[in-house]
Amino acid sequence: MFDQSEDAVERLARHLRRAVRIDPAFDERVMRAITALPGPGRTTWLGEVWRWLKRPHQLTLTPLGGLAAAAAVAVVVVLTRMDSRPPAPPEEDSRAFQFVLVAPHATRVSLVGDFNDWDATRTPMRQTGTEALWTVVVPLVPGRYHYAFFVDDSRWLADPSAPVARDEDYGAPSSVLTVGGGGS
Amino acid sequence: MTRAFSRSALPLLAAMLVARRAAGQQPDPRLERLDAATRPAVAALVDSARRALLPTEPLVQRALEGATKRASGDLIVAAVRRFAAELGQARDALGSTASSAELTAGAAALRAGASPTILAQLRQARREALTMPLAVLADLVASGVPVDSAAAAVLALAARARDADLVEFRRAVERDIALGAPPAAATAAAATAADLRVNAGARQQRPGRP
Repeated sequence: MFDQSEDAVERLARHLRRAVRIDPAFDERVMRAITALPGPGRTTWLGEVWRWLKRPHQLTLTPLGGLAAAAAVAVVVVLTRMDSRPPAPPEEDSRAFQFVLVAPHATRVSLVGDFNDWDATRTPMRQTGTEALWTVVVPLVPGRYHYAFFVDDSRWLADPSAPVARDEDYGAPSSVLTVGGGGS
Repeated sequence: MTRAFSRSALPLLAAMLVARRAAGQQPDPRLERLDAATRPAVAALVDSARRALLPTEPLVQRALEGATKRASGDLIVAAVRRFAAELGQARDALGSTASSAELTAGAAALRAGASPTILAQLRQARREALTMPLAVLADLVASGVPVDSAAAAVLALAARARDADLVEFRRAVERDIALGAPPAAATAAAATAADLRVNAGARQQRPGRP
């Protein structure tokens, strides 16, 4: 009985000591399967950013850091406000100016200038009183403006009651209006 | 500054700045009115002016004026380029604190023949905005007044005259020229009258003085 069990152990040990033969493609198959798995660590950088944005973060600042942050925000605000286009003028800064043209045979007159992007459709003039008198009122902020009258969609006329623009670049006549800062 | 701050807030601020810069570099949609060949050249000039911290709105308006007047693309580009150069010269003469309106008027005065020195002297002489004195100077020269006479008269009035006084002065000169007076003489006479008016106004504002 004792000898039989020793023999069984001996045979089991021999069996276990034998080299196991594995299919050479086994490793490759296993790795392919692992790669195909949608594991938690296998996300794109966009996913990483999204997870970072969703996680709560604690922001700790030194007083110096706080000042630097405030300065940086101030810089951003200043840069955002620095726009090349002038901001919409406050009502109290603009003053109403009446433009008048005597054009007896005109059927349509527009006022165009630096104040309306030289857009002939934006500021049409209206006949008032007699048929020859065309007028329009435009609010203007202080500045120096070039302008002209566009008659019947074909003729340019300078304002006879205003200085002529000598710094005209395009040949067609223009006038100059300067709006002062106050009391002008 | 803590590491946490530099890892979170600074990238956000940088992103805001980049976004702001990208938005600033978008071409002005109004320039769509220019033809396809002219638009990029004008947009480049406007961008260049923006980088030089010059006002760009007057340049856009000058380009739109050309488009509305159906000027050729070459003429529009040349006009905008010249105007940008004049705005730069005006800024050099008037200082970096000059407003867009002052620079536009200064550019007109320079084109009329005023020297940068005159612009700088006006800046020294007057605390208030220089838009009106510079515009009156340009308008007087455009009316035929010799630039030296116009500059001397405007410089003499600039320190104390209000904008309304300067407008009245210009009207008086133009009226006298229209009536046949030599431009220089008309300017001198109107300047004397305006000076008297300005001084009288100043005396009236002083309490306790006749």
